[in-house]
Amino acid sequence: MKYLVLFLLFAVTVFAEDEYTLGEGYQVGEMPIYLGGYFSVDYRKKDEEDRYRVDDIAFMSYGGNDTISYMVELEFKEFYVETHNDKYGNTTERDHQIYVERLYVDYNINDNYSLRTGKYNSPIGFWNLMPINVLRATTSSPVLTKIIFPNYTTGLDLSYTSFDEEEIKIDVILQDNTAIDDEYNNYDVDKHYALAFSYEKGNYTLKLNGGYFSKRDNYKSVNDFGYILLSEKYETDDFQILAEVGAQSSKNSDHNYAGYLQGLYRFTEKHIGIIRLESYKDELADDNDNIAILGYTYRPLFPVALKTEYQQHSKNNENQFIFSLSVLF
Amino acid sequence: MKLGGVFFILFSLNIFAQEYAVVSNVLLHDITKSKLKAIFLKKLTHLNKIHLVPVNLSSNNDIREAFEKEILQMSKKRLKSYWSKQHYMGNRPPVTMKSQESVLAFTRNVLGAISYVKIENVNENVNILYKWRSND
Repeated sequence: MKYLVLFLLFAVTVFAEDEYTLGEGYQVGEMPIYLGGYFSVDYRKKDEEDRYRVDDIAFMSYGGNDTISYMVELEFKEFYVETHNDKYGNTTERDHQIYVERLYVDYNINDNYSLRTGKYNSPIGFWNLMPINVLRATTSSPVLTKIIFPNYTTGLDLSYTSFDEEEIKIDVILQDNTAIDDEYNNYDVDKHYALAFSYEKGNYTLKLNGGYFSKRDNYKSVNDFGYILLSEKYETDDFQILAEVGAQSSKNSDHNYAGYLQGLYRFTEKHIGIIRLESYKDELADDNDNIAILGYTYRPLFPVALKTEYQQHSKNNENQFIFSLSVLF
Repeated sequence: MKLGGVFFILFSLNIFAQEYAVVSNVLLHDITKSKLKAIFLKKLTHLNKIHLVPVNLSSNNDIREAFEKEILQMSKKRLKSYWSKQHYMGNRPPVTMKSQESVLAFTRNVLGAISYVKIENVNENVNILYKWRSND
């Protein structure tokens, strides 16, 4: 079925409009249907390991009218991974399975309320809403985005938005069912109940999130977790300061803590510098680390990103250099 | 003499200042700059149960540049970044038209359409929601 949808996404590009701008998608004829996608390749160099990877290859379609709209996104993840390790030798892995990353329908109830149903990016914090390489600041993502909350939710999202001098948005997130393509998530989640609050005024945005979820582990036993996340962003035309801090707790008193502070400076439209300081403690995995990341991004066009970053870790043998090319189309 | 010079400069600035208006075919009350920004960034899509249809002039148009400076208060590079991110989110930028005449005709005929033009081009078929003056 997924291959059929993918084929249809390709097929309709034949009928797409002639005028095309990279990063803005194709319109299918005169219909309110748009096609797009993105891909990402990267190279990572550690002390004892080199890795070459074709990571994301994704196709998406969206559209609708003034009341109802949809989004479908299908993706190959870690399509090709070649690793050269001094200790363990060379390996090549291929994953040609197509995953459903997003599949939802939005319904505009009235001026302030809307309802989303399906599989969607959990509207938690900043990074999780813009998780693809070409759009985020660095090739790597903060550890916080992987160990605090479920990246995706399959269920309902009732959203309230109010605009005045400031913008206020509240999301009520509800999942009480098996997830769509549950392999494609950081947690295998059956239940997810959460509240997301966002306040934006001028260049400043504050977000506060709290929730509860139950996940299955590898042995299919179910565990319950609670989490809280505080995020702040200040952005002008030239720079952005972003900070997120979160905690997760479980009934057996294991806790996860993670946070990062990131500064981004646009030297010009094409040249961008990034510095990020991260820290995390994962009690369940008995893991912790402090990370300093220095990055540089070159964007010949906005939807094309060539990125480099160097990561200095407090953990042994984790210092690394990463280079990537990513494109939104 | 100095005072005269100051008056002359102020008078000159006033002569060269251009006045613009944001117009719609429906009378939307309590429209603020913040709401107009939200409408043209497609964050605010419905108001008083009417589906809003923002209309832009071409990207290199002087009136659009004045609008983006006054209302959106975002640079071109930041807007490019914003609309690329919105493409991933499944949202499209406002429709674009080449001339003020096209914009006014569209605004007159489409319920909820909102656009911006030089104030001398505003006619009786549209309502003024917001006015501003620019020396650029």
